Amino acid sequence: MHFDFSLLTTELSMFILGLATFVLGLVVPSRSRRGIGAFALFGLLAVLGLTVLNWDQQGVLLNGMYLVDRYAMFFKILCLSTAILVIFGSLRYVNEHLGNHFEYYSTIVFATLGMMVIASAGDFISLYLGIELMTISFIILVAFRSQDGKSLEAGIKYLLQAGLSSAVILYGFSLIYAATGTIVILEVAHATLQGQASPLLIAGMVMLVAGLGFKVSAVPFHMWSPDVYEGAPTPVTAFLAVGSKAVSFAALLRLFVAGLAGVHQQWDILVAVLAALSMIIGNLVAIPQTNIKRLLAYSSIAQAGYLLVGLVTASPAGIKAVMFYSFLYVFATVGAFTVVAVVYNKIKSDEIADYAGLVQRAPLAAAVMLICLLSMAGIPPLAGFVGKFYLFSTVVSGYLWLVYLGLIMSMISVYYYLRVVLVMFRDDPKDPAPIEMGSAANITLIITMVATIFLGIYPNPLSEVANSAAISFFLK
Amino acid sequence: MVDFALTHAWLVPLLPALAFVIIVFLTRPWPKLSGAVSIAAMFSSFVLASSVAYGVFTNPGFIERPLIYSLRWFGMEGFTVDVGVMLDPTSAMMLFMVSMVATLIQIYSTGYMHGDPQYSVFFSYLSLFAASMLGLVISSNLLQMFILWELVGLCSFLLIGFYTFKISAREAAKKAFITTRIGDFGMLLGLLFLQIIFGTLDLAGLAERVPHYEQYGISLGLLTLIAILVFIGPIGKSGQFPLHVWLPDAMEGPTPVSALIHAATMVVAGVYLVGRTLFLFSEVPGAAEVIAFIGAFTAIFAATIAITQREIKRILAYSTVSQLGYMMLALGVGSLSAGMFHLWTHAFFKALMFLGAGSVLHALHDKADVWEMGGLIKKMPITGWTFVIGGLAIAGIPPFAGFWSKDEILVVTLEYARQGHALGYLLFFLASFTALLTAFYMWRMIFLTFFGKEKPENHPHESPLSMTFPLLVLAALAAVGGLIGTPWANVWGKWIHFGHPHHGEPNYGLMFFSVALAVAGIGLAYRLYYQDEEKKLAKQLAERYQPLYKLSYHKYYIDELYQWFTRQVVDASAAVFYWFDIHVVDNIVNGLAGATKLSGQGLRYFHTGRIQTYALVFFLALLVITVVLAFGSPTLAGSMGGVHS
Amino acid sequence: MSDWVGVALFLVVGLVFGAGGLLTSFLIHPRSKNKYKLETYECGLPTEGPSWIRFKTQYFTYALMFVIFDVEVIYLYPWAVSFENLGFAGLVKMFIFIFILVLGLWYAWKEGALEWK
Repeated sequence: MHFDFSLLTTELSMFILGLATFVLGLVVPSRSRRGIGAFALFGLLAVLGLTVLNWDQQGVLLNGMYLVDRYAMFFKILCLSTAILVIFGSLRYVNEHLGNHFEYYSTIVFATLGMMVIASAGDFISLYLGIELMTISFIILVAFRSQDGKSLEAGIKYLLQAGLSSAVILYGFSLIYAATGTIVILEVAHATLQGQASPLLIAGMVMLVAGLGFKVSAVPFHMWSPDVYEGAPTPVTAFLAVGSKAVSFAALLRLFVAGLAGVHQQWDILVAVLAALSMIIGNLVAIPQTNIKRLLAYSSIAQAGYLLVGLVTASPAGIKAVMFYSFLYVFATVGAFTVVAVVYNKIKSDEIADYAGLVQRAPLAAAVMLICLLSMAGIPPLAGFVGKFYLFSTVVSGYLWLVYLGLIMSMISVYYYLRVVLVMFRDDPKDPAPIEMGSAANITLIITMVATIFLGIYPNPLSEVANSAAISFFLK
Repeated sequence: MVDFALTHAWLVPLLPALAFVIIVFLTRPWPKLSGAVSIAAMFSSFVLASSVAYGVFTNPGFIERPLIYSLRWFGMEGFTVDVGVMLDPTSAMMLFMVSMVATLIQIYSTGYMHGDPQYSVFFSYLSLFAASMLGLVISSNLLQMFILWELVGLCSFLLIGFYTFKISAREAAKKAFITTRIGDFGMLLGLLFLQIIFGTLDLAGLAERVPHYEQYGISLGLLTLIAILVFIGPIGKSGQFPLHVWLPDAMEGPTPVSALIHAATMVVAGVYLVGRTLFLFSEVPGAAEVIAFIGAFTAIFAATIAITQREIKRILAYSTVSQLGYMMLALGVGSLSAGMFHLWTHAFFKALMFLGAGSVLHALHDKADVWEMGGLIKKMPITGWTFVIGGLAIAGIPPFAGFWSKDEILVVTLEYARQGHALGYLLFFLASFTALLTAFYMWRMIFLTFFGKEKPENHPHESPLSMTFPLLVLAALAAVGGLIGTPWANVWGKWIHFGHPHHGEPNYGLMFFSVALAVAGIGLAYRLYYQDEEKKLAKQLAERYQPLYKLSYHKYYIDELYQWFTRQVVDASAAVFYWFDIHVVDNIVNGLAGATKLSGQGLRYFHTGRIQTYALVFFLALLVITVVLAFGSPTLAGSMGGVHS
Repeated sequence: MSDWVGVALFLVVGLVFGAGGLLTSFLIHPRSKNKYKLETYECGLPTEGPSWIRFKTQYFTYALMFVIFDVEVIYLYPWAVSFENLGFAGLVKMFIFIFILVLGLWYAWKEGALEWK
């Protein structure tokens, strides 16, 4: 059997990059390990460039086990960009709070590799492999601040819960295999399109909803996320909130819109209800939060709710909307968490009350926070507005109640987002000393801000890209 | 170069926009540098715009088939918006005119704003304005045009209120913004209707679809309503009655701003928009008549106010309102050519006169009352003589620019009347009478300001070269700029027309008539304000017709009427709504907010932090979902909607 | 609906299977209580000292290293059996596999996991 390695260019180079980072860390004396961050960063940039160049690559490996298409490429680019932004924005944070551990960088590379495998996965085995590679890497990353009790607690919580969800996913896979006799997603699709929905299949489907619902932190499988988001090192939280969530949506789309398309009427209401619950719980519980990371965690639960809306109709427009929203969500979330990280560097606190007068101490950080929060709230002309518009326009016919709910919940979200803004802009700082952020963080912040504004004002290029990727999804 | 310019016309607005960004983020602390950046960008933009204009005017193909290129801005199923560039003689003419006047006025501003602490900010605003205005001019889509339309409104607001320490300036800025917003709201409604009915806001697309409006299932009545709604925007922006009140007050801004925004460019945006959407108005005679009458009425109305005003810039402002009415009249009677021609010539002579007025104010340290001036032409010859050229142009003395365009408007109005339109002759009469008044009040101002006895308390001096140079250029254009549209060789009419080009024979009678009107107006002013050194006769006349004089001097009490309306009606109803808001709405909202907060608090306690609970919730949810799907899914699906069921 | 009977049956059998063992042993096991029965079971040797003591976490790292190389054998064995068939490519792949494991060992060594302090 011919095995076309060229289809795996990006994954292989990512793998080599991970190993190289690791070996470099072992070889280099600990004094000069600072450069490893830069090495990993340039390596990721190179792989990103390679992925962009391979945008048009198409192919299937091992009878559908591994799919290379624009859809996968889109999510690979997304994950790589996230990893790059996260590393670049947090170089200083990592040096000060995590020590100069090279493991941090190689683990991020491997987590990203896991995400890339998920994006391309064509059957249950490769999907599970990707999920585990990503999850185990994340467990390490979450518990990285080994001197900090909260970080360790978060690590152990994530470990247990992730294990639970992995088990459920596996169980779901096995039930679906039992019902259809295949593990290849596209063959599952053929089976479900032809046959009736058997209870085994539905039970397996529910397991998948639960397991992947955990990954995207959709209510009621979301309970882990606030604790883990709060305890994990801030850059890791950002990476977890964006990368892990986005590729889990990629997997959800592959599994449900492609694989389980035949039983669409069995899951559309289910997904709609989960979306509604996530929007409601995420937004309501965010209101009383006093810790910025917990607030962002609940807001991220709500965002998962918005994203699930794009799944409901199982249409190309919905896929496109999910992809578009995932991408703009990268910038808003990484921007917000980078601000949290740079502020924490100086004031050693994540309490919202300590953000008083941030605009006087770090105008850029306050501005970026403002833009990112408003984008998440969906205020025009920022990217979040366009994204929500795409998402909700897919369900206008048929699920109008979901649109109304989304509108109401977005309005509520404005309240708690603006509360943060109010503290930053209105209150006087306790200590007026300016916060020095470092040029890498500055550049990251500017990139996220410009991207958020640009995608809001001129969404069409990304929208077209997402469109062509969504079409490739259906060309099978 | 020309091909490059034609395909890169979007650079014309982009260059000043870039200058804006550079000034705001980089060069703000260095005023001189900021000014240089701004002017350099503006001048490059002008050069490019000239090439575009050259390219368009040397290629007759563009007249019938505009060059359009666009970019998908926003797209989804069933709704797309393209932004783009549309080049035809009309937009090329505007592009050329706006970029040139903007360049000259920026040069002028280096002298006028010299030493102002906000110098850099001023230039950044001017750049932003130029960018928005140039973008508006080449817009291929009405939504794009509307956004830029709002942006020029914003710049106007910022620049009117530029002297933030002056209460009157702040008030004027607010007034301008709110008044024009009223118009914009109507226009937005009209645009929404167009989008909903015709499914596009592209000018080219609409021009194709609107004539077949019956196929889109709407009646002539609805189309008339839409057209009038769209026209409300230009009423506000171009200072037409009854939304003209903001324009005279807008003179609180620095004089270069008055010249650029409130005389030559932004205020004609309304006229331009009507010109661009003439395919809509020509379909609905009712709406076109409304435009013609509002235009003619505004023209005479503002002219009768201008004859008694005392402040130099206020006279010019009312004159602007009046001339804008003239342009609207031309468009209302269906002549794009005449309307745009007057827009073109007016831009030169009115910018010239505003800048001249600025030069006078500069010399007299902001003394604005024309009665306190006199004989300035001796000390300020360049300002004075260029101003006289502007006066000759606006009065309509051949061969100066204003004569040709005004004559053209009279010709088309007379034709309109002869075609049997009811009240067409009334329009013609109003237009002619306005021409007479215009010549009179303009020359009243010129005689009082520049001629007669010098006042000993004034110590005028000629302005620096940076200010007189633009005056000279504009004076030259005001003198010869109309020659491209003479009845004998009407190049203008060939380039810019709607429907069939106008092939009128030169109407010598009408020409003579209009010159006679101008001469009569100037003569009357000469008699009253130059020969009569004590101005006894003028004062006697004012005494004799005191009620009329007062009515005019107080601008027909329109402002007072609006004030009264605001105080009595708006405030009273506001009080009622306020009570309702405090006692009913707030309680509901607070209650809702409280409930939301409370539910947030309640749900929060659910979150214990114990991982056993988390796992329990996880599995419970799994179980519940499975059970619901096993037993209840069909009914649930029925109640929640969905595409199946 | 009747299809779901199968799932329900599955659930019931699962429950019975789990609970049945416990129940059966509860029912049939001989009930004799003595001191030795309550003692901690430790490979048949008598226990010494209390079992609730702190002990070094390094046991875990040792245990982990052991398990990793223990499991490695599982992969090595089938490869060794069909070594002829897999040929050179198989050899290369196995080297990659071992290389990665060795990296882990190297790392553990470097981190001091193999030193008993």
